[in-house]
Amino acid sequence: MLNYAASRIAQTFIVLLVISFIAFLLVANIGDPLTALLSADATVTERMELIARLGLDQPIGTRFLHFLGNLLQGDFGLSYRTQDPVAKLIIERMPATIELAFVSLLITILVGVPAGIYCGVNPHSLFGRFIMLISTAGITLPNFVVGLLLIAVFSVQMGLLPSFGRGTVTNLGFWSTGLLSVSGWRAIILPAATLSTFQVAFVIRMLRTQLMEVGQSEHIRFARARGLSEARIWYVYAIKNTLLPVITMLGLQLGNIIAFSVVSENVFAWPGLGSLFLQSIQAADIPVIAIYLIFVGLVFMVINLVVELLYPLIDARVLRRQS
Amino acid sequence: MTTPLLDVRDLTVTINRDAGVVTALDKVSFFVNPGEVLGIVGESGAGKSITGAAIIDLLVAPLKRTGGTITLAGERLDTLSPKAMRAVRGGRIGFIFQDPMTSLNPVITIGRQLCDTIEAHLKTGGDKAKKMALEWIERVGLPNPDVQFKRYPHQLSGGMRQRIVIALALCANPALVIADEPTTALDVSVQAHILQLMRDLHRESKTSMMLITHDLGVIAKMADRVAVLYAGRVAEISPVGELFNAPRHPYTRGLIRATPMPFANGEVRLDQIPGAMPGLGKTPPGCAFNPRCFKVEGDCRAAVPPLTSRESSAFSCFHPLEKEIA
Repeated sequence: MLNYAASRIAQTFIVLLVISFIAFLLVANIGDPLTALLSADATVTERMELIARLGLDQPIGTRFLHFLGNLLQGDFGLSYRTQDPVAKLIIERMPATIELAFVSLLITILVGVPAGIYCGVNPHSLFGRFIMLISTAGITLPNFVVGLLLIAVFSVQMGLLPSFGRGTVTNLGFWSTGLLSVSGWRAIILPAATLSTFQVAFVIRMLRTQLMEVGQSEHIRFARARGLSEARIWYVYAIKNTLLPVITMLGLQLGNIIAFSVVSENVFAWPGLGSLFLQSIQAADIPVIAIYLIFVGLVFMVINLVVELLYPLIDARVLRRQS
Repeated sequence: MTTPLLDVRDLTVTINRDAGVVTALDKVSFFVNPGEVLGIVGESGAGKSITGAAIIDLLVAPLKRTGGTITLAGERLDTLSPKAMRAVRGGRIGFIFQDPMTSLNPVITIGRQLCDTIEAHLKTGGDKAKKMALEWIERVGLPNPDVQFKRYPHQLSGGMRQRIVIALALCANPALVIADEPTTALDVSVQAHILQLMRDLHRESKTSMMLITHDLGVIAKMADRVAVLYAGRVAEISPVGELFNAPRHPYTRGLIRATPMPFANGEVRLDQIPGAMPGLGKTPPGCAFNPRCFKVEGDCRAAVPPLTSRESSAFSCFHPLEKEIA
């Protein structure tokens, strides 16, 4: 188990290092920080001074190490666009995105998992087929279309829910949350629903396929031949066999939700990292883009790590495959 | 004559295919006496496993039981509700599966699987079920039951797993055990151990057994009587001694002669039956064996020979072998 954990953690660090290097290359090679930072009438001396100060005359390896060192000390550089520290921008925007992702994941688990299990256990039932039909729509409709449809129906037509913003936000010092106010909850419903549409449909389809496959397996037939109740066969014996891929998927989906909330955030004017990313792209704000890249990589790697560390608890065979 | 424990009459199973309905089992009849081991032999595709699965209603679509009666200790099984059938499965009829590598749930401990089965049938639970599970792990010959109880199937060898499969089939004390090729997936050396275990357990518990196999060696070691299936029909049912020494159906003799058996003088006799068993839905009119039979006559092609009893045997043949010939 310790070996397993150590090898997973080591892998995570290697991948993060690679991502940081790519992000660094982005900062180092795209755009010219000198034009961004120097005034138009700067002298050659000023220019040389700045090059020396920024370390641009150093070899690329040294500069990467310097970049890494700064990252580790929390110095993420300055935004070209606002001249603010990138760290401050990210920290400001992060709570909105994390809360959105959290509520989306909650919807995915509360809706997708039961519906998927129902469809897997009763694949030929009328209701099961109906769910599958709906989920096809969820898979195929692009995110922004779902968002616009929801706005059209619930905000414009029925006037039930707000179509933009986070509602009333409470500042807890280290974290600004919208989940402590009614208007905050009302505001998060539509974007979270939009963001989770694909995930819900995906989880339903995956659980169904997995369960149908496990349902055919010999050990389920043997369980039936021993007279175990259908409930125990499906909800314990079969489902335990589908947990591994499902948890992997849910983990990756959470990463996806955080990383790719760009579209939904834009549709709902949600003040999260996704909108920050879009603004940065429009302004060619390379340092922010680079840090955002590293952040997304970090999120994926950490979620992946947690999921992989959960594996052996679900299926002890994972440890054996290691050795 | 004793009342049989299991009485199967005219069991018919069909396969619904797009092209039409195909018969997989055609009016199969046999019985198993209390305490007896009935061997079921035949080539692959003869319908052995389907027979076993049909008895406990474990057929998988497109297979479907369409006719016949199944009676266990005087009670009809073919008309039971699914819920009542569940109590029969595992409780009154245990089923030993073929492949120990795939028939145990990989993510549930041995102990949990045993306890669940015990709790499903015997009115017991908790520590008592656990105690019984531990006893069964010991009875099937695994060392350190406490350790095995907490282990997962992948931590056991194939032979150990098959012992657990046997424990799972027997742990609710069924009156009848159906063993579907219980040793086929195992190494030869392990096969002998598993057969010995099954023989010991059968002797201790006096359960009846239906032993499905294509291995005549296993039959010779284990069975009291033997039913020979051919193309979904019963060819012959005889006591094991007569089956080997004086088979009545030409197919039975062919099957026995196709098995390598060394004689005292060191000579090995090995004959082949010409041709191959007809595939599903390709059964010729009349006796299914007639294209391959050396005693075939006109009537064999005209009608299906009914299962007729003579002395201790029963066979479906118009021109049975006489005892002297074999």
